[in-house]
Amino acid sequence: MSATNSTSMRDALYEAPGPHTRRRIRFWTAISLVLVAAGIGLIVRRFYVTGQLAPRYWELFARPTTWIFLGKGFLGTIEVSLMAGLIAIVLGFLLMLGRMSSSRVLSGICRVIINFFRGVPSLLLIYFFFLVVPTYGVKMSSFWMITLPVGLAASGVLAEVFRGGMNAVPKGQSEAAYSLGMRKMKVTMKIVFPQAVRYVIPSLISQLVVVVKDTTVAYVVSFPDMLQNARVLITNYDALVSVYFVVAILYILVNYAINHLAVSLARRSGTSIISRTSENPV
Amino acid sequence: MTQTQTGEALAAEGTPVIELRHVDKHFGSLHVLKDINLKVGKGEVVVVIGPSGSGKSTLCRTINRLETIDSGEVLIEGKPLPQEGKELASTRAEIGMVFQSFNLFAHRSIIDNVTMGPVEVLGVSRDKAREEGMELLRRVGVAEQAEKMPAQLSGGQQQRVAIARSLAMHPKAMLFDEPTSALDPEMINEVLDVMVELARGGMTMVVVTHEMGFARRVSDRVVFMADGAIIEEGKPDEFFEHPTTERAREFLDSIKGH
Repeated sequence: MSATNSTSMRDALYEAPGPHTRRRIRFWTAISLVLVAAGIGLIVRRFYVTGQLAPRYWELFARPTTWIFLGKGFLGTIEVSLMAGLIAIVLGFLLMLGRMSSSRVLSGICRVIINFFRGVPSLLLIYFFFLVVPTYGVKMSSFWMITLPVGLAASGVLAEVFRGGMNAVPKGQSEAAYSLGMRKMKVTMKIVFPQAVRYVIPSLISQLVVVVKDTTVAYVVSFPDMLQNARVLITNYDALVSVYFVVAILYILVNYAINHLAVSLARRSGTSIISRTSENPV
Repeated sequence: MTQTQTGEALAAEGTPVIELRHVDKHFGSLHVLKDINLKVGKGEVVVVIGPSGSGKSTLCRTINRLETIDSGEVLIEGKPLPQEGKELASTRAEIGMVFQSFNLFAHRSIIDNVTMGPVEVLGVSRDKAREEGMELLRRVGVAEQAEKMPAQLSGGQQQRVAIARSLAMHPKAMLFDEPTSALDPEMINEVLDVMVELARGGMTMVVVTHEMGFARRVSDRVVFMADGAIIEEGKPDEFFEHPTTERAREFLDSIKGH
């Protein structure tokens, strides 16, 4: 289903290549492969020359304790990311509803909040929760000190992402719902938002990936996430490059999993069937 | 301007289902509806025709407030059309609307499209709505497609589902905003057939259309609009044979031709 969709999408966006173009594509593919291979070769060589491939940098990965420790950090990263992602999605959704409300006051307030969270770097928000909030006597665990600011920062972006999706749903959809006698909340929740989600899945994925990456700042509040634990390993074994290398791969896997999950969720909810109904011509 | 007897005779019969009184509307500097007066009685089929940009779609959409009006009144069964809230929603629920571009809910199956109104708005149980929905789909001839998604159906099938979706609400009247204009020629008749059957069954209908054959055969009254105003209205035979205004004659000549 989606395979045929993406093929037709490619055909729609790009002209089908002719024989000459196909030859040129083959040529540049070969060149790129050679360049990539050369690049990898160069990196491995530099590793070798500078002694980074020496067993003492890598043998720590043969010990179960290393993996258990990294695994704990991995779980920490997952927990923080899930909570921050949840905060971002729920709050982003609410902010979008407020922003799109017909009440000017509510809409204005939400716009200010959205722009604030979007505009302020998440690190600054983390410092706020880490350094400022405790001075008001609010006790917060390091878990919340990382999830709240990261979630809040992403909620602003997600609110705008959701709003873009809502606006992309053809107006006829809500008109049809209104004409059946549905009220605004129902039209939003049952008709427009479910379709809006379909439009924003790519942006949603990017933003959730940003959330996962933002959680790496957890060391500021000394929450034991994957990167924090990696730093401990680095200090203990004096193995900087190898540890970072392994951790980078783990982060890539997490983000790849998010991508995969979002796409399969979208497919299961039947949103990959693209509507043929078009916008109302005026 | 000919206010024909049909309109007046009708007023004597009782409260019209739909009535527009001195309705005016502007889009910026464009005067899209000029002092529109229209009555549609119970069981009456009124066809609105006219050149594009004459305001006929806008007129149709003001009846359930998908378009607001600047001044004048829209009355449904003698009561002013509510401007917002629960009252507006429940009045809309009583008036079916069929759009040019079908507007089936793209993320829901055909049967869901038909049952959503009754379930979400009228509070009908899912089972009962489904049973009735299937009956309606059978009536418009798309029951076999019930579990498909709208995008998998042809335009003509989608439009018939859209009609079934409206009927599921048991409307007092139905508005058709150019229901066949987006269809391929071979699909127009299957939609018109359903509409003819509705009209014969006594449904009160306002139909904006370019289908002159339908207007002639089915309508009780033809309303001709140009430049935002109702120029002429009358019984279909009279209107098509002996239009009284120059503007209507020109329009009819321009669409005959072939």
